[in-house]
Amino acid sequence: MPLLELESVSKRFGGVKALRRVSFSIEEGEILGIIGPNGAGKTTLLNCISGVHRVDEGRINFDGRRINGEPPHMVARLGIGRTFQIVKPFSSMTVRENAAIGALFGSSQARMAPVAAFAWADEVLSLVGLASRAAFPVASLTIPDRKRLELARALATKPRLLLLDEVMSGLNAVESDQALDVVRRIHQSGITIVLIEHVMRVVAGVCERIVVLNFGEVLTEGRTQEVLDDSRVVEAYLGEKYARRLRQARGERDQDR
Amino acid sequence: MSLFAQQLVLGLLLGGVYVAVGIGFSLVWGVLNIVNLAHGALVMLGAYLTWWLFTNAGMDPFVSLPIDAVALFAIGYLVQRILINRVIRAPLFFTLLLTFGVNLIAVNLILLFFTSDFRAVAPGYAGSGMTVGDVEVPYIRLGAFGVALLLAAAIGLLMNRTRVGLAIRAVGADRDAAQLVGIDLRHVYALTFGVGAAAAGVAGGLIGTIYSITPTAGDPFTLQAFVVVILGGLGRVSATVVGGMVFGLIEVLAQTQIPQGAGWANAIAFAVLVLVLVLRPQGIMGRTA
Amino acid sequence: MTGFRRRLLLIALLVVMSIVLVLPATLTPLAADAGLDPESLGVDFLVNKSILRMETTIAMFIVLATAWNLIGGLTGYAAFGNVAFFGLGAYTVGMLTDPERGNLPFAVALPLAPLVPAAFAALVGLPLLRLRGHYFAIATLGMGVAIGEVIKNIDLFGGSTGLFPPIFRRADWLFFYLMAGAATLAVATNWLVLRSRFGYGLIAIRENEEAAAVIGVNTTLHKVAAFVLAAALTGLAGGIFAQWNSFINQENVFPIEYNVEMILMAIAGGAGTLFGPLAGAIVLESLILWLAGMGGEVAVISQIGLGLILAVTIIFVPRGVVDFFGGQSTLSLAHIRRSLRETSV
Repeated sequence: MPLLELESVSKRFGGVKALRRVSFSIEEGEILGIIGPNGAGKTTLLNCISGVHRVDEGRINFDGRRINGEPPHMVARLGIGRTFQIVKPFSSMTVRENAAIGALFGSSQARMAPVAAFAWADEVLSLVGLASRAAFPVASLTIPDRKRLELARALATKPRLLLLDEVMSGLNAVESDQALDVVRRIHQSGITIVLIEHVMRVVAGVCERIVVLNFGEVLTEGRTQEVLDDSRVVEAYLGEKYARRLRQARGERDQDR
Repeated sequence: MSLFAQQLVLGLLLGGVYVAVGIGFSLVWGVLNIVNLAHGALVMLGAYLTWWLFTNAGMDPFVSLPIDAVALFAIGYLVQRILINRVIRAPLFFTLLLTFGVNLIAVNLILLFFTSDFRAVAPGYAGSGMTVGDVEVPYIRLGAFGVALLLAAAIGLLMNRTRVGLAIRAVGADRDAAQLVGIDLRHVYALTFGVGAAAAGVAGGLIGTIYSITPTAGDPFTLQAFVVVILGGLGRVSATVVGGMVFGLIEVLAQTQIPQGAGWANAIAFAVLVLVLVLRPQGIMGRTA
Repeated sequence: MTGFRRRLLLIALLVVMSIVLVLPATLTPLAADAGLDPESLGVDFLVNKSILRMETTIAMFIVLATAWNLIGGLTGYAAFGNVAFFGLGAYTVGMLTDPERGNLPFAVALPLAPLVPAAFAALVGLPLLRLRGHYFAIATLGMGVAIGEVIKNIDLFGGSTGLFPPIFRRADWLFFYLMAGAATLAVATNWLVLRSRFGYGLIAIRENEEAAAVIGVNTTLHKVAAFVLAAALTGLAGGIFAQWNSFINQENVFPIEYNVEMILMAIAGGAGTLFGPLAGAIVLESLILWLAGMGGEVAVISQIGLGLILAVTIIFVPRGVVDFFGGQSTLSLAHIRRSLRETSV
């Protein structure tokens, strides 16, 4: 049984169809990438899974249980953690307190007493590389550190599934390599991950499988290399003209198929 | 049937007054993001100015309206420039509390100068009106209704057709961007509050001729202005006009259903407020998100 | 502030409070036995009746400001209508003790004073707490005004005349201790909430409600619970006030100024902190009472004074004496100048 399963999920905003019959699933222990150009519906999809938006049609199952219709805090309690693309820290608190709040609430495995929560917060902070800044107020953090904090807070909730919304955006090459390293470590600790990204390079480096969204629909889905070779993906990203040129350049390989 | 028609007319005429009360409040809230708790006090200042000019100079209340507007504009400009500008970027508690303080000072200054006696402006044509079919239309209320619509139209024109209005709207849309194109924020904020206060002053002049007034009579108008804006939807003059009319109708119809209905104005306003906020938070004229 | 200094402050505060609370009761009979006049001992402020009334009033505002702190300071919801709970608590006691209505003893009526406003808060909290920012502020402000008006218009509740709980003679001490007890209860509640998971949940909501929800905070439940707690404490103070004053009507238990005074006290002292609202209540209410004394017959002057205090406090100490929403305690010229720069255009 897949850990998370979406069955033809649709979501409208007024007249705009943000998601159209999206279906895919992810097995326990996997790391799945979701990519797509701007406005493809990636963040909407994530909001639907985490209960921030209500789904119009379709079904979302987590561990065999239907979760669409549940409020966000129930989804979190069942074991789905998430980050926000535009970071949402608890700004008047310290870094450590931010992480501890995740452990005080969070999934049913978390929900610790305050003392234990602070201890767990410290562990999580060292995992993402923020241990040295634990006592600082959030306002003093740099952008990459704020992204890490976002990650730490989600991790502190002890999720089984972690949804990461563009944790690398706005980072330079070195910073995003570091962040990628953190994601790998989290994955190795046994947490299933859905990684939403705009930048293909990032996803290719870490994900086994990729789902491509375009105009709210699943364009294609498959193993990373297959998806990256798919000309439709290139087209969605760079336009038809570029895709045609790429096809010509690749020439024969394309015709073989 | 004729009773209902009479109530409908009275409701619309009262709605005109609410349009006048709401329009300045809406402007200040929409552009400055300030819910002005002193709005009712500004209305009362206008009312007392009209009363004073009528009593001491024999000036017709409708003639004194432009004077109310100019005087209140000056007061509003100074209040914003000297006081509110200093906390405009603080959390919303602060602007709410500060405007409440301004309200307290203004109400008690009025009390000091005019005492707590009831005052009324009664020009010769007070009490007379015309009859259309079965429906009686008092002249003063009809005049107030006309002035309120003129006021709404004037503010609409100001906001859409003039340099100042465009600057105000630019600041309302994005103050940082407005600053980048060379708009002086402090001045435009003060202008906006001044225009809002001027509208409150005109509303007060109208109210002074319709009701008898006391210095503390202003507070319900703040709540009512808020309800009008919520009812119509924040941001546009036309929305305030619709909100004011609908609220006038609701109040007149509700009061006839309740014994001693006149004492329930605040409760009715609150009930409408909660219903609107729960059922249609964007207001009647508001666009859906 | 370090843990040590905090503990020191707490101990000092407890000592002062116990002196204020315990000394006068023991002192009066002792002094009488010894044939001493409290005035000659220089402690007449402890047994002077009018001063005792002032202290009771201050204790009442400690309850109001500290209770407001739960919903306004910790949760960040600008509740501008808590006076509704004060009035409902007062009217609960008023109705139950009135000889022609409940005719129950005060001791039976008082425990019910927090319950009625709490139930009311739970009822209106569900729709109101879906609103944010200005919308919540004015909706609650309207709630405070409307409840008072409804009660005034219904004869069952005494109409505009009001209610008259039977007068307790020579009971100034009783009411001082009751009010001080309520203040202690309010501070203790804040203390418990601040160090509990519930309190962290409230702060998370204040800081970012959406983020709080996705890490598992049941935001609706938290907000309503904070609102209900604040209502219960505020209602308790109202219930004590009703019997203390032995006369209540719409004007004296639903005054719109209380809404603003309690917020100002909490903010001036430091919203979201444990002792901020308490300190703010003591300082500002003393100031207000002093002004009321100055004005003499002309209440107008003291009201203008209050307005000026409000304006000056808000403009010059936007962050509170203790930094707004927790943090360091700072009252230096440089700090004031900096926060002025941050909040003005």
